[in-house]
Amino acid sequence: MPDLNGTDQAGPGLPGVFFDGHSSRDHPATLHLGAGGVRVRLEGRGDHHWRADQVTLDAPLPGVRRSLNFPDGSRFETPDDPSIRDWERQHGRNRLLGGVRRLEGSWGTALGAVAVTGAVLWGFVTFGIPALARQAAAVTPVGVLASFDREAMGVLEGQNLIGPSDLSAARQAQLQAAFRDVSGWAGGPYGYRLLLRDGEPAGSGGLGANAFALPNGTVVMTDQLVALARSDRELVGVLAHEAGHVTQRHGLASVYQALGLSLIITAVTGDVVSASTFAAAVPVALVQGGYSRAAETQSDEVAARFMLERYGTTRPLQTILARLEAQDGGPGSVPDLLGTHPGTDARIEHLRQLEDAAR
Amino acid sequence: MTDPALPRTPEPTVPAPGTAVPGRHDLPSAPERLPAPELPAPELPAPGLAAPHVTTYPVSFTGSTGEYFRLWIVNAALSVVTLGIYLPWARVRNRQYFYGHTWVDGQNFEYRADPLKLLRSYVVVGALFGAFTLTQQSERLWGLSVLIGLVFALLYPWLVAQSMRFQAVNTVHRGLRFHFDGSLKGAYVAYGAANVAASVSSGLALPWAWFMQRRYQIDNLRYGSARGLFRGDVAPMYLIALTGVGLLVGAGLLLGVPAVVTLVAWMAGNGFDLDSMDWDSLGSGLFFLIFVAVAYVILISLNGVAWQYVRAATMRYVLNNAELGGVVRTGATFNPWRVVWITVSNGAAQLLTLGLATPWADIRRNRYLLEGVSVRAIAPLDDFARGTGGPESALGEAATELLDIGLGF
Repeated sequence: MPDLNGTDQAGPGLPGVFFDGHSSRDHPATLHLGAGGVRVRLEGRGDHHWRADQVTLDAPLPGVRRSLNFPDGSRFETPDDPSIRDWERQHGRNRLLGGVRRLEGSWGTALGAVAVTGAVLWGFVTFGIPALARQAAAVTPVGVLASFDREAMGVLEGQNLIGPSDLSAARQAQLQAAFRDVSGWAGGPYGYRLLLRDGEPAGSGGLGANAFALPNGTVVMTDQLVALARSDRELVGVLAHEAGHVTQRHGLASVYQALGLSLIITAVTGDVVSASTFAAAVPVALVQGGYSRAAETQSDEVAARFMLERYGTTRPLQTILARLEAQDGGPGSVPDLLGTHPGTDARIEHLRQLEDAAR
Repeated sequence: MTDPALPRTPEPTVPAPGTAVPGRHDLPSAPERLPAPELPAPELPAPGLAAPHVTTYPVSFTGSTGEYFRLWIVNAALSVVTLGIYLPWARVRNRQYFYGHTWVDGQNFEYRADPLKLLRSYVVVGALFGAFTLTQQSERLWGLSVLIGLVFALLYPWLVAQSMRFQAVNTVHRGLRFHFDGSLKGAYVAYGAANVAASVSSGLALPWAWFMQRRYQIDNLRYGSARGLFRGDVAPMYLIALTGVGLLVGAGLLLGVPAVVTLVAWMAGNGFDLDSMDWDSLGSGLFFLIFVAVAYVILISLNGVAWQYVRAATMRYVLNNAELGGVVRTGATFNPWRVVWITVSNGAAQLLTLGLATPWADIRRNRYLLEGVSVRAIAPLDDFARGTGGPESALGEAATELLDIGLGF
C-alpha cells in the first residue's frame, strides 16, 4: 500500500517501468507514493525523488497503464490504477477527467449519455437551429437581400424553369396593381416587385402553376397559376401569402437553416463530400420540409389578416389551395420537388379557423 | 529485452547481443522465427563479426468494443451538452484510448496533445470555415470568400506540415517522443506543387503526388534521434491507382450496361420518343426517379470503394517500405480488399444505427489493420536515444480535423 506520510518510508511500492527520457530503454522500477511526493526506486540504480507538485499525471483511461511524468522528461508507468487514483484524489489532480473516467465506467451512464445526446441533438435541430436562423435572418442587412434575389432569378432562368409571360399587357397591369396594394399593406424596407412568368417554357417540366417569394420581395407568379385561378381574389390571397414570406424573412431563414444543418453534419461525420454526406442529405431534406410547414402557416396567417381586412373572408385562398392540391396530387404524378405547399388540408382548415375566429 | 520481470508478448528468437551494430538492414522477408541460413549458429556467437539478428515484434491492439463505446458516448454527450467546448477533450480522449491500447514489444503508445491548444485552434479554424461558407452564399461577399479560399489554398501545405509536426510530437513510445521536421519547402513541393501537377494533368500525376507526399511524411519522421526512411518507388503507386481505376471501370461496365439496357427497354415499352423529349411521360413513372437515385447511390459507393482500396493499398505499401534509423522496419500483411469490405460494412452499420455503431466500427477497423502490422528490428527497441524537436502548433491539426484534409495515412 502506498505510504501516505512521506516518501522516505519503505514499502512494497507499485511495480512498473521507468523511462529516463533519454533513451527508449525500460527500467523495471517501483513507485512509492507519499503525501509530500513520490519516490521511484530503480533496481540497483538508486532512487529518484520528486515533490508532489513536480509530478504531472496523465488522466486515467480505461485499460491503459497510468503514467507519471517528471520535470526532467523521465516517466514511470504502472498498471496499478487504484493506488494512483487514491493518490491523485488526495492531491486534487485530474478531478474533471477523473470524473469523466468514472462516468465511462458504467453502462448506466453510457445509456444515459445516448439518451442525452439524442435529446440534445434533436432539440437543437428542431428548436435551436430555426431560432438561430430566424435571429440571423432578422439582423441581416437589407442590402444583402437584393443579391439573393438576383442570384436566385439567374438560376431559375438559366435552368429554363421559367420563361417570359404570355399574359396580355392589360392583364399584367391588373395583377401588378393588385400586388402594389398587397405590398403597400405588408410594408417593410423591401424591394417589392411582381414578376409574371411562364412556368413551363420548355413544354412541361418547369415550375407549373406556382408562386414563390425571394428574400428581398421579388415575387414570381406563373401564367399557369393565373390560369388556374377562377377570381382575382384567389390570386390576391396567394400574393398576400408570398408577401408574408418576405416580411417574416422565411427565405433567408431557410438559407441559414440549411447552412447550420450542413455545418452540423460536417462536424458530426467529419467530412465534406462523401457517401455519408449524401446519405445525411435525406434527413436534412425531411427536416427542411418540417421547417417550411411552419413558415407556410405563418404566411397563411399574414394572408388571412389581409384578406379579412379587404374581403372579410379567407375563402378565395382556401379554394385555390384546394385546386392546386387537386392538380398536383393527381394519381401517378411525380412529387413536386420544388413545391412549397405541404399539408394542404391542414392549411385550409387553419384558414377556416382564422376566419371563424375573426367573426 | 533487458527486463525479464515484465511480461512481453513477443519473445525474441535469440537474446539480442549487445554488439548488434545499427546500420546493416538487409532484412530477410521470410518469417524471422527461424534463423536465416546465412546466420552463424547461435552457439557460436562471434562478438566482432556478428551478423544482425532479426527480431519480429507483432503490433497488438487490446482495446475492447464495450469499453470504448462507453468512453465514446460519454465524451460525445459531454461535447453536445457543453455546445462543443468539450470537443477537443473528447477527441484527445478517443485518440488516447487507441494509442494506449496499441502495443509493440511490451510497451504501449501514448497520445499527449493538449486539448486547450486544440480548442484555441478549433475556434480559429471554425470561424474561418464559417465565414467562408457564409460569404459563399452571397454574390456581394463573393470576393471575400475567394480571398479566404485563396489564403487557405496558399497555407494548405504549411497546415499539413504543422499537422504532421503536432501529430508526431504528441506521440510517445517508451518515454520518447516522435518528431517531424519536414521543411516548409518540402511541404510546398509535396502538397503544393505535386497537387497542382496532379490536377493540371487531370489525375495522371496523382500517383506521383501520393509518392511525394508519403516520402515527405516518412523521411522527415524521427523517433528520438533515429530518422525515418521511405524506400518505396513511384511505379507501385501507379499500379495501385490503375487497380482503383480498373475497379471503377469494370464495376461501372458490369452494372451500367444492364442498367442502360433496362432503361431503353422501359422507354420503348412506354412509347417514349427521344425526338419529342416528352418529359411528361418520362416523369409520369416513378421508375425513372428511382432509377436515377439508385444509379447515383451506386456511382457514389463505387467511387468510395475505389478510393478506400487506394488508401489501404497505399498504406500497406508504405508500411512495407518504411524504416527507422536503419535498424527497424515496419511490415504490413493486411489485405486492402478486406479493408475495403470492413470500411463499407462499417459505413452501412453506422448509417443503420444512426452513428451508434461508430465505436464498434472504429475498433473493428483498427484491430484488423494493426493485427496485420509488425515491426522487425536488428537492434533492441530500447536502444533509441532522445533527439530534439522543434515547436508544434495545434492549428494544422485542427484544420485537418475540421476541414477533412485527407492525409491518407
